[in-house]
Amino acid sequence: MRLASIFRTTAFRLTLLFLALFAASAAAFLAYIYLATANEVSRQADGEVRRELSSLQTVYSQGGVDALNMAIIERSVGERPFLYLLMNADGSVISGNIAETPVEPKTSPEAKAAFSVRQTDPDGAIMHRSAWGRQTRLESGELLFVGSDIGESKGYVTRLLRAIEGASVLVIILGLAGGVLISRNVSRSMSGLNAVVAQVEAGDLHARAKVRGVGDEYDELAGGLNAMLDRLERLMGGLRHAGDAIAHDLRSPLTRLRARLEAALIEVDKGEVDPTRALEQALEDADGVLKTFNAVLAISRLQAAGAPDQAVFDPAELGGDVADLYGPVCEEKEIDFKAEFARGLSIRGNREFLAQALSNLLDNAIKYTPHGGAVMLRVRPRSSGEIEFSVTDTGPGVAEADRARVVQRFVRLDNSRNQPGVGLGLSLVAAVAEAHGGRLELAEGPGSFEGSGPGLRAALVFPPAG
Amino acid sequence: MRILIIEDDTDASAAMSKGLEDAGHETERADDGLAGLNAARGGKFDVLVVDRMMPKLNGVQVVEALRREGDQTPVLFLSALGEVGDRVDGLKAGGDDYLVKPYAFAELIARVEALSRRRETGSVNTVLKVGDLEMDLIGRSVHRAGQEIDLQPREFQLLEFLMRHANQSVTRTMLLEKVWEYHFDPQTNVIDVHISRLRSKIDKGFPRAMLQTVRGAGYRLEA
Repeated sequence: MRLASIFRTTAFRLTLLFLALFAASAAAFLAYIYLATANEVSRQADGEVRRELSSLQTVYSQGGVDALNMAIIERSVGERPFLYLLMNADGSVISGNIAETPVEPKTSPEAKAAFSVRQTDPDGAIMHRSAWGRQTRLESGELLFVGSDIGESKGYVTRLLRAIEGASVLVIILGLAGGVLISRNVSRSMSGLNAVVAQVEAGDLHARAKVRGVGDEYDELAGGLNAMLDRLERLMGGLRHAGDAIAHDLRSPLTRLRARLEAALIEVDKGEVDPTRALEQALEDADGVLKTFNAVLAISRLQAAGAPDQAVFDPAELGGDVADLYGPVCEEKEIDFKAEFARGLSIRGNREFLAQALSNLLDNAIKYTPHGGAVMLRVRPRSSGEIEFSVTDTGPGVAEADRARVVQRFVRLDNSRNQPGVGLGLSLVAAVAEAHGGRLELAEGPGSFEGSGPGLRAALVFPPAG
Repeated sequence: MRILIIEDDTDASAAMSKGLEDAGHETERADDGLAGLNAARGGKFDVLVVDRMMPKLNGVQVVEALRREGDQTPVLFLSALGEVGDRVDGLKAGGDDYLVKPYAFAELIARVEALSRRRETGSVNTVLKVGDLEMDLIGRSVHRAGQEIDLQPREFQLLEFLMRHANQSVTRTMLLEKVWEYHFDPQTNVIDVHISRLRSKIDKGFPRAMLQTVRGAGYRLEA
């Protein structure tokens, strides 16, 4: 990756920001240490100078100028000598270990001064060391200056300062390098994801991001992206399949409609058929195609996208509503209708679709059950905790070999040819069940009895809500 | 009745307009949402028939704009979108009814007429009267010519709907939608069975049958 693009990355910018904050706080901290140390050094030196001065004044008050002179000469050769200078009132030197007083004017009666002294170290190199001193006038008029070499202490501070400078340079260099490194690392993780996004954008829905398995936030993002793409691909596939299915399923009814219209045109031409009757027939056929279309569309959408607008409700209520709708229909056909609902259950689903599924099952049951037969609608929990809606009839039933087949689209068994319908009812019921995570089970009904039966037991089985 | 049709498919709106005029209504047509909104603003229409998907302003935007301006003219949405969610969106926007394309003319006319009637009888009546048939909405009782008629709760609701739309055709789909609140087509004609039971209760033993079957459309309760 080019450096310029690294500088643009968020990680690098964050590093820079952090570095700046760190440098600023470090500088403030070190500046405080410097000031505190330097101040302390000066204060200490001044204290020492004052003590030495008062000690010399004691010598002076006891033995006068001569004793003071002796003391200065003695003390000048000590281990770590102070800087001394004893002068006459006119400023001319009497004794001492420095050439002249740094105080201006030289004859000041009370003064203090920061100054520097020239020293020659054992190697012969000349060094300027900083010093601090005070000057005072003795009772007899002579001037006494005492100073202290603070070069050593000051040097410590200077070294500290230099170390700080060096350290800051190091911190900045290391920080920048770290920033570049982190950005490159982050960018490398991101560029994998970006590549996948670009691929998908270009139309390749199969592209997937690499999950490295370290469980960091990039893995999480990659996992999320992949899950999203999986779902998208499934939906797209479902929709494409739905489109194909609709085209396939509508071709035959449309072909039939067209053929009938063509035949009607010829017949009307010959005067064999009343034009109004032909048009009415055509309208009826068109309505049939529309019904088929709606059913196929509903099935395809359920299969591709699941059931929309799901809510939690009591299945007994739904059963009651549907029973209320179909009870009179049974009565009219002299079919004994019973409904039985377990209480206190709850189910999650699209009420409208579930009602339609139950209504299709009841439609079928009533259609195939002869006069004097019975239809039963039941809602109850299974021992597995699943919730079952079942419709049992005493009609001819469906042979075991045909049960899987009748659920497929447009499959109509031979004995149903004379009944209305196009063979989508059970397909829709199965699609509704699957869209709710449930299933449609077909089984034998209550058995054969006096020439009727064995009947069909159709059960919609759903997981409980929760 | 004056009806404004806002629909960008001019073939469809011409056919609709002819169908409504044959049924005795006056119609005007607007070819896009903006023209429709401007035409509707005069407030001279009894019902608006609004297509959902149109250029410039879509149907939902048109109706939202009218409702914001305080216009309460009943609106029937027409749409090729038939999902539950789409219907709910249309009604939320201020539509009064929703019809999915393609539709039968009988269905369209019945729904348009039902909407205009809704506005006329917008007041709160506790007693409905149609001919010699009387329904007490508070006491939940029905009398015909002074004779009490015993109805099941659902039969009561069915009759209430028919009485509120007396002398109008109502379709089976409308009854299933408004009385049972289902929006699918049952394979068998369940509504016919319920109507025939209701008919046997309100018309049996009376010289004149009030509940009439309208061929190709549905039913009509005649005063």
